[in-house]
Amino acid sequence: MRSIIGLFLVLAVLIIIPSIEYAFAQDEPGEYIDRRVLIWNLFFRMMVVAFTIGAVVSGTIVWLCWRFRESNPKAEPTKYEIAGEW
Amino acid sequence: MVDTLAGHSSWPEWIYIGVVIALLVWVGAEAWNVERLVEHTPADAEVIKVTGQQWFWTFEHEDGTKEVGELHVEAGKAYKFEVTSKDVIHSFNIHDYVVLMDAVPGRINTVWFAPTDAGEFPIQCREYCGLIHYNMRGTLYVEEAS
Repeated sequence: MRSIIGLFLVLAVLIIIPSIEYAFAQDEPGEYIDRRVLIWNLFFRMMVVAFTIGAVVSGTIVWLCWRFRESNPKAEPTKYEIAGEW
Repeated sequence: MVDTLAGHSSWPEWIYIGVVIALLVWVGAEAWNVERLVEHTPADAEVIKVTGQQWFWTFEHEDGTKEVGELHVEAGKAYKFEVTSKDVIHSFNIHDYVVLMDAVPGRINTVWFAPTDAGEFPIQCREYCGLIHYNMRGTLYVEEAS
Protein backbone atom coordinates (compact mmCIF):
# COMPACT_ATOMS: atom_id res chain seq x y z
CA MET A 1 0.00 0.00 0.00
CA ARG A 2 2.78 2.41 0.97
CA SER A 3 4.64 1.64 -2.24
CA ILE A 4 1.52 2.38 -4.34
CA ILE A 5 1.12 5.73 -2.57
CA GLY A 6 4.80 6.38 -3.24
CA LEU A 7 4.37 5.51 -6.92
CA PHE A 8 1.43 7.91 -7.24
CA LEU A 9 3.44 10.62 -5.49
CA VAL A 10 6.29 10.21 -7.97
CA LEU A 11 3.85 10.17 -10.92
CA ALA A 12 2.08 13.25 -9.56
CA VAL A 13 5.31 15.23 -9.26
CA LEU A 14 6.67 14.12 -12.64
CA ILE A 15 3.59 14.05 -14.86
CA ILE A 16 0.20 14.97 -13.39
CA ILE A 17 0.99 18.33 -11.72
CA PRO A 18 2.99 19.76 -14.69
CA SER A 19 0.23 18.59 -17.07
CA ILE A 20 -2.53 20.28 -15.06
CA GLU A 21 -0.46 23.45 -14.73
CA TYR A 22 0.12 23.52 -18.48
CA ALA A 23 -3.52 22.76 -19.31
CA PHE A 24 -4.75 25.72 -17.25
CA ALA A 25 -1.93 28.07 -18.20
CA GLN A 26 -2.65 31.12 -20.32
CA ASP A 27 -1.30 31.03 -23.85
CA GLU A 28 1.60 33.39 -24.33
CA PRO A 29 1.04 35.11 -27.67
CA GLY A 30 3.98 34.60 -30.02
CA GLU A 31 5.42 31.68 -28.05
CA TYR A 32 4.60 28.38 -29.63
CA ILE A 33 5.84 24.86 -29.23
CA ASP A 34 7.83 23.37 -32.08
CA ARG A 35 5.96 20.22 -33.03
CA ARG A 36 9.01 18.95 -34.95
CA VAL A 37 11.09 18.98 -31.77
CA LEU A 38 8.40 17.38 -29.60
CA ILE A 39 7.50 14.64 -32.06
CA TRP A 40 11.04 13.71 -33.07
CA ASN A 41 12.26 13.80 -29.46
CA LEU A 42 9.45 11.45 -28.49
CA PHE A 43 10.44 9.16 -31.35
CA PHE A 44 14.11 9.11 -30.31
CA ARG A 45 13.26 8.51 -26.63
CA MET A 46 11.00 5.60 -27.59
CA MET A 47 13.71 4.17 -29.86
CA VAL A 48 16.26 4.34 -27.03
CA VAL A 49 13.85 2.48 -24.74
CA ALA A 50 12.95 -0.09 -27.42
CA PHE A 51 16.56 -0.89 -28.34
CA THR A 52 17.68 -0.99 -24.71
CA ILE A 53 14.94 -3.46 -23.79
CA GLY A 54 15.67 -5.47 -26.93
CA ALA A 55 19.35 -5.67 -26.02
CA VAL A 56 18.63 -6.68 -22.39
CA VAL A 57 16.05 -9.33 -23.33
CA SER A 58 18.04 -10.86 -26.18
CA GLY A 59 21.24 -10.68 -24.10
CA THR A 60 19.52 -12.51 -21.25
CA ILE A 61 18.29 -15.23 -23.62
CA VAL A 62 21.75 -15.66 -25.16
CA TRP A 63 23.35 -15.84 -21.69
CA LEU A 64 20.74 -18.40 -20.51
CA CYS A 65 21.35 -20.62 -23.55
CA TRP A 66 25.13 -20.38 -23.13
CA ARG A 67 25.21 -20.85 -19.36
CA PHE A 68 22.74 -23.74 -19.11
CA ARG A 69 23.80 -25.73 -22.15
CA GLU A 70 24.57 -29.37 -21.48
CA SER A 71 28.20 -29.06 -22.59
CA ASN A 72 29.01 -26.23 -20.19
CA PRO A 73 31.72 -27.44 -17.73
CA LYS A 74 29.80 -25.74 -14.93
CA ALA A 75 26.57 -27.56 -15.78
CA GLU A 76 25.13 -29.67 -12.98
CA PRO A 77 22.25 -32.12 -13.14
CA THR A 78 19.03 -30.86 -11.59
CA LYS A 79 17.70 -32.53 -8.47
CA TYR A 80 15.06 -34.18 -10.63
CA GLU A 81 17.72 -35.63 -12.92
CA ILE A 82 19.72 -36.85 -9.92
CA ALA A 83 16.62 -38.55 -8.48
CA GLY A 84 15.72 -39.93 -11.90
CA GLU A 85 12.23 -38.40 -11.58
CA TRP A 86 11.85 -36.97 -15.04
CA MET B 1 8.90 -13.60 -1.07
CA VAL B 2 9.16 -17.38 -1.16
CA ASP B 3 6.67 -19.47 -3.09
CA THR B 4 6.50 -22.67 -1.06
CA LEU B 5 4.51 -24.57 -3.70
CA ALA B 6 7.11 -24.09 -6.41
CA GLY B 7 9.98 -24.45 -3.96
CA HIS B 8 11.83 -21.39 -5.16
CA SER B 9 11.87 -17.68 -4.66
CA SER B 10 9.66 -15.67 -6.98
CA TRP B 11 10.94 -12.17 -6.23
CA PRO B 12 12.77 -11.83 -9.59
CA GLU B 13 9.44 -12.39 -11.31
CA TRP B 14 7.78 -9.63 -9.29
CA ILE B 15 10.67 -7.29 -10.12
CA TYR B 16 10.28 -8.21 -13.80
CA ILE B 17 6.53 -7.53 -13.70
CA GLY B 18 7.14 -4.23 -11.91
CA VAL B 19 9.72 -3.09 -14.46
CA VAL B 20 7.43 -4.01 -17.37
CA ILE B 21 4.47 -2.16 -15.86
CA ALA B 22 6.62 0.88 -15.05
CA LEU B 23 7.94 1.01 -18.61
CA LEU B 24 4.46 0.68 -20.12
CA VAL B 25 3.16 3.46 -17.86
CA TRP B 26 6.10 5.69 -18.74
CA VAL B 27 5.75 5.10 -22.50
CA GLY B 28 2.00 5.74 -22.35
CA ALA B 29 2.39 8.88 -20.23
CA GLU B 30 5.11 10.34 -22.47
CA ALA B 31 3.13 9.71 -25.65
CA TRP B 32 -0.08 11.06 -24.11
CA ASN B 33 1.69 14.20 -22.91
CA VAL B 34 3.33 14.94 -26.26
CA GLU B 35 0.06 14.35 -28.10
CA ARG B 36 -1.71 16.72 -25.70
CA LEU B 37 0.93 19.43 -26.22
CA VAL B 38 0.89 19.04 -29.99
CA GLU B 39 -2.91 19.16 -30.22
CA HIS B 40 -3.30 22.28 -28.06
CA THR B 41 -3.99 24.97 -30.68
CA PRO B 42 -2.89 28.49 -29.62
CA ALA B 43 -5.79 30.95 -29.25
CA ASP B 44 -4.23 33.46 -31.66
CA ALA B 45 -3.66 30.97 -34.49
CA GLU B 46 -4.77 32.21 -37.92
CA VAL B 47 -7.22 29.86 -39.59
CA ILE B 48 -6.41 28.59 -43.10
CA LYS B 49 -9.01 26.46 -44.86
CA VAL B 50 -7.35 23.67 -46.80
CA THR B 51 -9.32 21.84 -49.47
CA GLY B 52 -8.01 18.81 -51.28
CA GLN B 53 -9.43 17.59 -54.57
CA GLN B 54 -8.13 15.47 -57.41
CA TRP B 55 -5.36 16.51 -57.69
CA PHE B 56 -4.48 19.84 -56.14
CA TRP B 57 -4.70 21.82 -52.91
CA THR B 58 -6.63 25.05 -52.39
CA PHE B 59 -5.96 27.37 -49.45
CA GLU B 60 -8.21 30.13 -48.14
CA HIS B 61 -6.90 32.66 -45.63
CA GLU B 62 -8.98 34.45 -42.99
CA ASP B 63 -9.20 37.58 -45.16
CA GLY B 64 -10.68 35.57 -48.03
CA THR B 65 -7.49 35.37 -50.10
CA LYS B 66 -7.28 32.11 -52.00
CA GLU B 67 -4.22 30.28 -53.23
CA VAL B 68 -3.98 27.18 -55.37
CA GLY B 69 -1.00 24.85 -55.15
CA GLU B 70 0.98 27.22 -52.99
CA LEU B 71 0.63 28.69 -49.54
CA HIS B 72 2.28 31.83 -48.17
CA VAL B 73 2.71 32.21 -44.43
CA GLU B 74 4.92 34.20 -42.08
CA ALA B 75 7.57 32.79 -39.76
CA GLY B 76 6.83 33.18 -36.06
CA LYS B 77 3.06 33.06 -36.42
CA ALA B 78 0.72 30.19 -35.60
CA TYR B 79 -1.63 28.77 -38.21
CA LYS B 80 -4.53 26.42 -37.77
CA PHE B 81 -5.42 24.36 -40.82
CA GLU B 82 -9.03 23.30 -41.31
CA VAL B 83 -8.62 20.41 -43.71
CA THR B 84 -11.35 18.92 -45.86
CA SER B 85 -11.86 17.32 -49.27
CA LYS B 86 -14.26 17.78 -52.17
CA ASP B 87 -14.10 14.25 -53.60
CA VAL B 88 -12.06 11.39 -52.15
CA ILE B 89 -9.87 11.03 -49.08
CA HIS B 90 -6.56 12.89 -49.31
CA SER B 91 -3.96 13.61 -46.66
CA PHE B 92 -2.40 17.02 -46.17
CA ASN B 93 1.31 16.76 -45.39
CA ILE B 94 4.07 19.30 -44.83
CA HIS B 95 6.91 16.91 -44.20
CA ASP B 96 9.44 19.44 -42.93
CA TYR B 97 7.09 20.67 -40.22
CA VAL B 98 5.66 17.25 -39.32
CA VAL B 99 2.16 18.33 -40.31
CA LEU B 100 -0.07 15.46 -41.41
CA MET B 101 -3.86 15.39 -41.46
CA ASP B 102 -6.42 13.44 -43.48
CA ALA B 103 -8.71 15.41 -45.78
CA VAL B 104 -12.07 13.67 -45.64
CA PRO B 105 -15.18 14.70 -47.64
CA GLY B 106 -17.90 16.14 -45.40
CA ARG B 107 -15.60 16.52 -42.43
CA ILE B 108 -13.24 19.22 -41.18
CA ASN B 109 -10.06 18.03 -39.47
CA THR B 110 -7.75 20.51 -37.78
CA VAL B 111 -4.00 20.64 -37.29
CA TRP B 112 -1.81 23.61 -36.37
CA PHE B 113 1.79 24.63 -36.73
CA ALA B 114 4.05 27.61 -36.23
CA PRO B 115 6.78 27.89 -38.89
CA THR B 116 10.13 29.08 -37.59
CA ASP B 117 12.40 29.05 -40.63
CA ALA B 118 11.89 31.10 -43.80
CA GLY B 119 12.09 29.12 -47.02
CA GLU B 120 10.23 26.86 -49.41
CA PHE B 121 8.87 23.54 -48.23
CA PRO B 122 7.03 20.86 -50.21
CA ILE B 123 3.39 20.00 -49.58
CA GLN B 124 2.34 16.51 -50.62
CA CYS B 125 -0.78 14.35 -50.59
CA ARG B 126 -0.06 11.29 -48.42
CA GLU B 127 -3.17 9.22 -49.12
CA TYR B 128 -3.41 7.43 -52.43
CA CYS B 129 -6.19 9.33 -54.18
CA GLY B 130 -6.08 8.26 -57.81
CA LEU B 131 -4.05 8.44 -60.97
CA ILE B 132 -2.13 11.64 -60.32
CA HIS B 133 -1.80 11.27 -56.56
CA TYR B 134 1.98 11.26 -56.92
CA ASN B 135 1.85 14.76 -58.35
CA MET B 136 -0.69 16.25 -55.96
CA ARG B 137 1.85 18.64 -54.60
CA GLY B 138 2.12 22.20 -53.45
CA THR B 139 4.70 24.55 -52.01
CA LEU B 140 4.75 26.22 -48.65
CA TYR B 141 6.45 29.61 -48.72
CA VAL B 142 7.48 30.75 -45.26
CA GLU B 143 8.37 34.43 -45.36
CA GLU B 144 10.23 36.51 -42.80
CA ALA B 145 7.95 38.16 -40.27
CA SER B 146 6.81 41.58 -41.47
